[in-house]
Amino acid sequence: MGMLEDFTLLEQYGFGLIPYKVAKNQKEAIEFAKELGYPVVLKVISEDISHKTDVGGVKVNIKKEPGLKIAYDEIIENTRGKKIDGVLVQKMARKGVELIIGEKKDPQFGHMVVLGLGGIYVEVFRDISARICPINEEDVEEMVNELKSHPIITGTRGRKPINMNSLKKILKRVCKMATEEDIKEMDLNPVVFDEKGCDIIDVRITR
Amino acid sequence: MENKVKNLRFVFEPKSIAIVGASNIPNKLGNILMRNLMSSKFSGKIYPINPKYEEVFGLKCYKNISEISGKIDCVIFAIPAETIPLILEECGKKGIRGAIILSSGFGESGKKDLEEQLKQIIEKYEIGAIGPNCLGIMNPYSKVDSIFLPMHKLERPKQGGISFITQSGAVGTCVIDMAAKYGIGLAKFISYGNAVGINESDLLEYLAEDEKTKQIVVYIEGTKDGKRFLEKLKKINKIKPIIVLKAGKYSGGLKAAKSHTGNLAGNYLAYNAVFRQAKVIEAESLDELFDFVKVFNQSLPKGKNMMIITNGGGLGVLTADAIEENGLNLAELDGETIEEIKKNIVSYASSGNPTDLTADAKVEDYEKVINIVMKNPKIDGIFIDVLFQTPNMDERILDVLQRASSDMRKPIVVTAVGGTYTENYRKVLESYGVPTYGAPLAAVKAMKKLVDYSLQSKCRKCIIKL
Repeated sequence: MGMLEDFTLLEQYGFGLIPYKVAKNQKEAIEFAKELGYPVVLKVISEDISHKTDVGGVKVNIKKEPGLKIAYDEIIENTRGKKIDGVLVQKMARKGVELIIGEKKDPQFGHMVVLGLGGIYVEVFRDISARICPINEEDVEEMVNELKSHPIITGTRGRKPINMNSLKKILKRVCKMATEEDIKEMDLNPVVFDEKGCDIIDVRITR
Repeated sequence: MENKVKNLRFVFEPKSIAIVGASNIPNKLGNILMRNLMSSKFSGKIYPINPKYEEVFGLKCYKNISEISGKIDCVIFAIPAETIPLILEECGKKGIRGAIILSSGFGESGKKDLEEQLKQIIEKYEIGAIGPNCLGIMNPYSKVDSIFLPMHKLERPKQGGISFITQSGAVGTCVIDMAAKYGIGLAKFISYGNAVGINESDLLEYLAEDEKTKQIVVYIEGTKDGKRFLEKLKKINKIKPIIVLKAGKYSGGLKAAKSHTGNLAGNYLAYNAVFRQAKVIEAESLDELFDFVKVFNQSLPKGKNMMIITNGGGLGVLTADAIEENGLNLAELDGETIEEIKKNIVSYASSGNPTDLTADAKVEDYEKVINIVMKNPKIDGIFIDVLFQTPNMDERILDVLQRASSDMRKPIVVTAVGGTYTENYRKVLESYGVPTYGAPLAAVKAMKKLVDYSLQSKCRKCIIKL
């Protein structure tokens, strides 16, 4: 499934996404960025590219129009030769704790949600916890407590705890969607949390 | 409860057993089985079946099932796999509702069709059938014993409150032997092999209602019925603590998946999730399994505040470290308690937490301090670390520890580190049912599981007496 279909499915299930638009050319990108409000992020949309960041298909924290023009051209340049369906213009996400929220269908137990600290070291530290769907709020609290990195989520050294209600909602929603749509694997990675709420930055769904 | 599960009572408490494949030839399955059953004081009727013999172990031997006129509750199969379906069908028609199929040569060796045939007969007659490819069952109360390993090589555990379910016969063998060695009493032992008729969820359901079973231990490699397994674990763990050991954690699931989650979630993550969701007690090894089993005959602690009493300063410190590291607390003693302890022990001993009675400690000192601590409501559990090696310790300490263990106001664990002399003391304590450990960390981990179970279970008042 492509990124846009993934976004649409998430929206159908009530996941709040960061406002975005799909630009077909640079002119549209400028127009949409103005409309959404700077700073913005540009992401290439292409089924040929599975790791957008690795090929230079993502530009973040673009603050003004001149920068946007350069970023747009660079993305097109970096992805030359690939089939491109457009460039996603997305409002820059909030800053906060990056978590990975995943789902996997286990052959014996069915759909399972996974929570972990996001970022590039997630597969090194493997600091994750999991539950079989459906889950309740107590399950989510336990999933957080089971993480070695839980103080980062529940607040440490002057940092405020993340919004637990958002986390509970999003995990329960992942279970609901995964079960109803029978999704094999899914990553919401990263999802950025602060004390007010969360932003889903990227999604990958494998049917 | 399904009829086939209800029918398990014919397997566990039969009034009569038929042994298909009973034999006079030493070391044959049907021979060991007969010998074991004859010597286990099973009080019901035994019908050997084998067309080759007139008599087996002095009992009349029958040609086939139909030749027996009396009622048969349970049939044990010790014959080649291919011959079983036909005879099981005969059993079904005769109204026999319990069966143990020890023979291998079914699904595990690629004979899926034969296994399917077996399944259909079991379902048709709703037979409570254990196996195939297993050790079967042992019930120390009814004396039924289908474990085809000679008594002199494999000691049998005494009667008790722990029921053990195992997929693997090999692990089952080890567990029986270790339980006997540790003096741990069993209520039921079930090696269920290929689980064609009765699987782990069925057994959990049966044991939940079994009066003799106070605690359930499960060794599992895999399940075919995940959702139901989770549901049963969740429900039954609230009534009877369930300790699980999962093997085969790292087989498969390792091939690169497309998503991060797919890569992170190996084969084991789902089981880990299930165990945590059901709040069962998970052991990482066979040693841990027994460490945990031992402590669950204690009363459930009301909190995490632990007291250490020792006659070896360093031993107490090691325990204190392990307590802090494993998420338990050292109880803070009030001045009154400290004074009371001080009054009762030698002047140079230290009355704090740990209370170090020093190497001069007498058996009476332990007893006095244990009694003071037992009545203190701010202490939730007691670690008693004993150096049996010191001059004043003698066998009377065993009685003191046994009394503390059966006091039931607070849970206790005993740690005794040492060589052969100490090991002998440990063995006696174990046979008394005192949770005894050879290292501080093992004792602490066990107590932690008891605390976890207690604090998350709704039934904090129940006292599990094995």
